[in-house]
Amino acid sequence: MKDIRTPLWTHLTSEPRKTGTWRSALPLYQNESSPCLDACPVSGRVAEWIKQVKDGDLRGAWETLSDNNPFPAIAGRICHHPCEIACNRRDHDETVGICSLERFVGDMALDQGWQFPLPTKERTQSIAVVGSGPAGLSGAYQLRRLGFQVSLYELKEELGGLMRYGIPSYRLARDVLDGEINRIIAMNVTLHTRHDVTDASGLRDLQSKHDAVFLATGASRPKPLPGLDYTQPWVVDSAIFLAATPNDQAQMTGAHVLVIGGGSAAMDVARSARRLGRKVTVLSLEAEGQLPAQEVEVVEAREESVLFVSGAMLQQAASADGVVEAGCTRVEFVPGGTPGSFSVAPIQGSDFTLMVDTIIPAIGQDADLDRWAQLLDPDGPVISTDGNWQTSRKGVFAGGDLASMTRFVTEAVGMGKDAAHAITATLDRDCAALTPPAQAFVGNDRINTAYQADHARSTQPVVPASTRLKSFDEVQQPLTQDQAHQEASRCFSCGTCIYCDNCYFYCPDMAITKLENGYSVDPDYCKGCGLCVAECPTGSIHMQEDELT
Amino acid sequence: MEKIEYTDEGQFFSGHVACAGCVEALSMRVILNTLGKDTVGVVAPSCSAVILGGHPMSAAKIPVLHGTLESAAASASGVKRALKAQGRDDTTVLCLAGDGGTYDIGLQALSSAAERNEDILYVCFDNEGYMNTGGQKSSSTPRNAATGSTPFGKTTRKKNLIEILAAHRIPYIATVSPSHLNDMAAKIAKAQTIEGTKVVIVLIPCLPGWGVADNDAVATARLGVESGVFPLFEIEDGVRYTMTKSDKSDAINGYLKKQKRYRHLTEADRADLQAEVDETWSRLLAQAETTV
Ligand SMILES: Cc1cc2nc3c(=O)[nH]c(=O)nc-3n(C[C@H](O)[C@H](O)[C@H](O)COP(=O)(O)OP(=O)(O)OC[C@H]3O[C@@H](n4cnc5c(N)ncnc54)[C@H](O)[C@@H]3O)c2cc1C
Ligand SMILES: Cc1ncc(C[n+]2csc(CCOP(=O)(O)OP(=O)(O)O)c2C)c(N)n1
Ligand code: SF4
Ligand code: SF4
Ligand code: SF4
Ligand SMILES: [Mg+2]
Repeated sequence: MKDIRTPLWTHLTSEPRKTGTWRSALPLYQNESSPCLDACPVSGRVAEWIKQVKDGDLRGAWETLSDNNPFPAIAGRICHHPCEIACNRRDHDETVGICSLERFVGDMALDQGWQFPLPTKERTQSIAVVGSGPAGLSGAYQLRRLGFQVSLYELKEELGGLMRYGIPSYRLARDVLDGEINRIIAMNVTLHTRHDVTDASGLRDLQSKHDAVFLATGASRPKPLPGLDYTQPWVVDSAIFLAATPNDQAQMTGAHVLVIGGGSAAMDVARSARRLGRKVTVLSLEAEGQLPAQEVEVVEAREESVLFVSGAMLQQAASADGVVEAGCTRVEFVPGGTPGSFSVAPIQGSDFTLMVDTIIPAIGQDADLDRWAQLLDPDGPVISTDGNWQTSRKGVFAGGDLASMTRFVTEAVGMGKDAAHAITATLDRDCAALTPPAQAFVGNDRINTAYQADHARSTQPVVPASTRLKSFDEVQQPLTQDQAHQEASRCFSCGTCIYCDNCYFYCPDMAITKLENGYSVDPDYCKGCGLCVAECPTGSIHMQEDELT
Repeated sequence: MEKIEYTDEGQFFSGHVACAGCVEALSMRVILNTLGKDTVGVVAPSCSAVILGGHPMSAAKIPVLHGTLESAAASASGVKRALKAQGRDDTTVLCLAGDGGTYDIGLQALSSAAERNEDILYVCFDNEGYMNTGGQKSSSTPRNAATGSTPFGKTTRKKNLIEILAAHRIPYIATVSPSHLNDMAAKIAKAQTIEGTKVVIVLIPCLPGWGVADNDAVATARLGVESGVFPLFEIEDGVRYTMTKSDKSDAINGYLKKQKRYRHLTEADRADLQAEVDETWSRLLAQAETTV
């Protein structure tokens, strides 16, 4: 029998007891996609570069951004930002100002003169890129990064496509545009400006000189407005107007300008005309609040005293005694299922007349498909391409406005990038085309917002309307360094671990170990409770059911 | 975001038998690592005794004496005096007990120790019931909560132990929550530097006892704090009140919804509980205001 005078000392730790056997699921660390990334047309790793901004690593942030988009300063100014619309922070207070941060990083890169490196390995194959809009330049940039020799063919004297000949300088300063384009050309892109690839034979000719062609000639043909006589001196085409210098624009316009359309181009025409001192009325089919232009553009146009007549259409126009009488009627506007499609029904007895001096229709542009008629198949209003931006002719790829009806700068940049990777895949068996896997993203339900303080969004300062009407200088002003840091701190970092150690500290079983660059879970002790997952502020860890063995 | 900052020095071992997701084990991890090596534990029969024990193994690196339910504070007093007699004045004596062992069965021992101002740090894991024995009610169980012995909900309110303790004018009383680990570590560290009787009450949403999901006890505790059901504060010398968080959200509904023990509540029941919370909260605020 045991001597009761000997105390019953406990002499072992509990560690030999492998309580992990209780478990049926184990946490898995896995960075996942965020809603902003999912919505981003260039698949930019938003959470990652915003965290770099937060950590003060602006160079790193720029490099992360430039992986997918060589134009952060441009996109930060004029992107239609579907990322912000999708942002998880929306339900907490306000979405994160992704664009203003992107601009901040892009401007820093231009200020500092940061350049893209040349490819480490040059390839002998050469690619012809036709058109220097965002699609063509993005394609050229990615192809150079992949080591291809790139020849860029552009009809006009200067590069940039609609970023230069469409979007006005008060939305996108020209030194910014030049800076971001020059950085791409400096990667040894061979330039052929004022080079018109006139027709199918010109394209065949290019194909014979190069290993592949990327066609990105945009959509440059103004859609004609029925009932309007374009030969009249008081009718001015919007594309020509926007491409002209302010002096020439002044020549083209009378005292009261009627702009027809409700998209970005219409807003740009209207606001440019206001800067020339014109009275401006915008006539749009869409009702108020439904204009296809970005909301900020409409707001700023209103601030600049642009007048809006919404839900109406022009029926006929004629000049009499030096005044143009624009006969209009109110309409019922019904948007269609695809971008750009709609139907209208005029409302009986709602006719009215506007007395103006100049009419500028800005109702959209069509791609010029006739030019390639014998060579490339169309698909409705655009050039037909397969899932990899390959046209009906092998070796000829197409992207941007020419090949798609989603007509935005960053959409074109994304297509240029994807086409570059698709071209690489056809020329180099070892490279797979870059089709981003359809990834689930971390939704709001996986963000633990208990760790997020309420903090209003930092907004960019805006030049007052009275001042901005005196010049074509930029309206939106940048965030300060402090504001940018503050705004970056608002990002939830959805799906990207921020190494906060919450998972480590909230484990009641000490089953998580901190590693130099992450964490590991000890299956011997993890009981599978899921507390680490529940208390993760970013959704970068999830429970995975143990497999039955 | 505020980072959690204490250092885990290995004072609490894996392999303990707390339920998966138990925040009593989580709190023990913070407390044992904050107090450090020069500490002796005394534990009353309770979940914490189960978690720490399982002879011949122990989940605590420090020596722990397992006492009786009635006498935890008395045993801790004795251990402290014995250590003093050995010249180990600086060794912290940590007494761990549940609410049953504190509000009910061990109250006389605690009251006597407090009256003598024994130099012990007494931590009460308040899971609002006799939980390791299957979930019976204690005097800490709140009104309307269902337990094994009050299946239709308890009819009387939760005993206000803190006011009883404050009446003893002991040097330090604090409330802490596993949703606020930095605050827990800071208050434990502060208590360790104070001589005399210190009592820290920890809110422990009990997974089986309250009907809370395995991954949800921290969130439940957080809602308890935010809604003012379990205010975080300190009382020094029984009279000086300091609110750790001096605002609360309007409603306790979110907190109640997380727990199956409140599943049967009517609107009127919820309103009663809300009124109780509001009344206690304004009383506390008033006390904190007259302090400054
Ligand atoms: C006024 C206006 C404002 C806009 N504002 C915005 C905005 O704020 N945000 C936004 O995201 N999007 C905006 N857009 C849309 C956006 O500009 C376009 O979707 C985008 O520029 C399309 O890019 P791309 O490269 O396909 O074509 P483009 O930018 O049109 O570039 C095509 C290039 O190809 C050249 N080219 C054409 N034919 C030939 C040929 N035969 N040979 C050689 N070169 C040729 C052209 O000269 C041009 O440089 C706006 C569009 C307009 C018209
Ligand atoms: C005098 C006495 N009565 C009953 C018991 C049985 N018993 C052991 S632990 C316990 C419940 C203690 O409840 P609590 O202190 O709240 O701790 P919890 O289990 O909830 O952690 C009971 C009733 C006992 N040990 N001693
Ligand atoms: S919070 Fe950050 S990571 Fe999440 S959706 Fe918004 S910008 Fe993206
Ligand atoms: S908190 Fe710990 S025990 Fe619970 S699932 Fe995570 S690693 Fe496993
Ligand atoms: S809790 Fe923090 S450290 Fe752990 S996975 Fe989530 S973000 Fe990363
Ligand atoms: Mg209890």
